[in-house]
Amino acid sequence: MDGHKPTPAELTILIAGGAMLIASFLHFQDGSSVWDRYTFPVAALLPIYGVIMAAEITITDLAGVKLPGRVAGFTWEQIHLVLGLMAGLMAVGWLLTDTGKKPIGQWIEIAGGIALAVGAVRMQRERRTGAIG
Amino acid sequence: MNRTKLSPANIVILAAGVVMLIASFMSFYRLPFPGGAVTANAWDRGLFLIATLPVLLGGFMALQVGLVAFGRIDMPNRLLGLTWDQVHLVLALQCVVLMLAFWVESRPPTVTFGAGFWLMFAAAIALVVGALMRIATTRRRPRAI
Repeated sequence: MDGHKPTPAELTILIAGGAMLIASFLHFQDGSSVWDRYTFPVAALLPIYGVIMAAEITITDLAGVKLPGRVAGFTWEQIHLVLGLMAGLMAVGWLLTDTGKKPIGQWIEIAGGIALAVGAVRMQRERRTGAIG
Repeated sequence: MNRTKLSPANIVILAAGVVMLIASFMSFYRLPFPGGAVTANAWDRGLFLIATLPVLLGGFMALQVGLVAFGRIDMPNRLLGLTWDQVHLVLALQCVVLMLAFWVESRPPTVTFGAGFWLMFAAAIALVVGALMRIATTRRRPRAI
């Protein structure tokens, strides 16, 4: 085990991913969670992206497990950036979609999706990937 | 117009992006009733913006291809550290994931998918094919030593 203390970007993704997983069992739309009929799997994509990102950080950085350096030609930093930005995009998508009164679960998913995007962008700076700035 | 720049992969992406945009104004969901049907497209209330995202992503892909091919605009080699081939692959995969999710999602038995949905689904698959063709073309291209 070769773990280290999480950086601010990693912490952002870990907290957002965890919060999104928990919130996925709360009401998202019309009294249904993201795992219920009529909402799954469109609404479940947000917490799924968050869990994938948080799981990678937990496995590699905190537990010290070595994963392959690249997946399909993408570095893990690029995968975080892509998943984070897509989660942010879907979060804005849900924010602007008229689903009636938005329950707390949907607000947490929206905030989590935006936090994933922020965390992924910040990670590029922390790890000096040169992707941003 | 400099058509020589438009590779088969880019033609697929351009066509799919245009089809996606046109299809987004056709019926996404359809509620038939005797003598007619109520329809909703991807821009209608309750579907905009979440069902419109594939259109915007596909439109961005087609726009990038179109600007480079016809607008003679020099794009930076990379966007956020990703090559343009990677950008196209990622956006196309997100399109198809969203469309697959809508396809799998349960809906009331009386509600069916409209022609717009199926065209958008087909266009999303075509975008992935186009993005993969771009990557295959890049890999086949001889590199300078």
